[in-house]
Amino acid sequence: MSTDASGETGIGDTGIDDTPISADVDPRVSYHLYLDGAVREVADVCFSESLLGVLRDHLGVMSVKDACEQGRCGSCSVLMDGRLVASCTVLAADAADAQVTTVAGLGSGGPARAVRAAFLAYGAVQCGFCTPGFVVAVTDLLARRPDADEDEIREALAGNICRCTGYGRIIAAIRSVQDARR
Amino acid sequence: MIAAGARLYRPLTVADAVEVLADGDAELLAGGTDLVPALRTGRRRPRRIVALRRVLELRSRGAGADTLIIGAGVTYHDLVGWSLSPGLAATARVVGSPQIRNAGTVGGALGTANPRGDLLTFLTAVDAEVVLRGVHGMRTVPVGSFLDAGASPTELVTAVRLPRPCGPQLYLKVGSRQAASATVVSCALVVDRVRERVNCAISGVAGRPMRPLAAEEFVRDQVDWSTATLSADAVIRFGELVTEAAGIAVDPLPDDLLVSAAYRGHAAGVLAARAAGRCLSGPVRSRDASTASVTATPSTAPVVSAPDGRLRV
Repeated sequence: MSTDASGETGIGDTGIDDTPISADVDPRVSYHLYLDGAVREVADVCFSESLLGVLRDHLGVMSVKDACEQGRCGSCSVLMDGRLVASCTVLAADAADAQVTTVAGLGSGGPARAVRAAFLAYGAVQCGFCTPGFVVAVTDLLARRPDADEDEIREALAGNICRCTGYGRIIAAIRSVQDARR
Repeated sequence: MIAAGARLYRPLTVADAVEVLADGDAELLAGGTDLVPALRTGRRRPRRIVALRRVLELRSRGAGADTLIIGAGVTYHDLVGWSLSPGLAATARVVGSPQIRNAGTVGGALGTANPRGDLLTFLTAVDAEVVLRGVHGMRTVPVGSFLDAGASPTELVTAVRLPRPCGPQLYLKVGSRQAASATVVSCALVVDRVRERVNCAISGVAGRPMRPLAAEEFVRDQVDWSTATLSADAVIRFGELVTEAAGIAVDPLPDDLLVSAAYRGHAAGVLAARAAGRCLSGPVRSRDASTASVTATPSTAPVVSAPDGRLRV
């Protein structure tokens, strides 16, 4: 569903249970996540916790940023089985058999390294809050579409919001990575 | 499944999923783009969740002689590049952001039933059918009836069925910005050159996407079907009729803090006229930054192509 699907209308919200979660039915679960190539144990967390919440609050992965929690800002972007997603829209317990990749799992060499270096060289980082999400999204884009033109780059990054630099420096950084690989 | 007695169910088949639903008191999880943020805020507190990500049979899509069938687990991303339905591709392309399109599914769109849902608007325009499965079997309902009745808590949407395109199709929307933005008003226009029909659906004016039937009928009579073209005057009149239809909508959406109902009705007419102008004006190549651009050729098989439209961050 689109980001406009706030559900505030109440239409279609069947199955809502407004009663508080009672203590007699334990909502806590334990499972494993495949995170950045390693198996991580997740113990005793609420079954309804998002992947973002589990990564930050239970596994200490602070590069995945928590901003909007509505899938709109992209600062929590990760790859799930190779697809770019907002981890705040993923139910963590339902990601138990998926490969989850954060900026740390993109690798210390190759394209991810080049993207990180270019972000620094071109001043595409100011406060840095959006940067891990951008690096994941940009690395994903360049893997799929190495020769993407500027319009395609802008469209691919529409789900990642930067409120400091604007997008000019970020796009300049991406173009430099593309130029260096030609 | 996670553990015995767990509240999260992760079935592998539709049959297993509907069995859990039959017990009641469970919420479906597809792409998660609606439910997971709502869990976080506490707006929704289901006692049990049935996660459909591993039900691979929901992810298929295919084409028959006259129909397309799309599994409920197919994502917007999957539809963006689908050449068999340019209208669906154009619709899917303007939903959310890449992150949302990679996760959000057809079944999720129907289950959430957002009154401004992009996909619902297109499906309303093409008279799609929703395929539902419960423990007692399968049934098929028109998308309009489905939206009126709401999703049954014990049934699973397994697929949607829609006619194969027989002419230009277009989806246009207005949002607060051009990309990754909520739809305020949208319009789906579907031209059927074989049956000589023009279907239109608009969202953002009523509790669900609505069909301006009088406007459709007007266009149907005005089109020169030998060339599938519409005069400039008729295009303008069509837009006016759509605005009129929005003004007398059953279950109208009220003014909200940002947008008045009058504006939405006006915008619906503008989008409808724009869509009709592009789909029914012979050979046109136009470009509009708000959404996909269109190439309509007056040949026997008009083509509408989405990939040219550019969105700005």
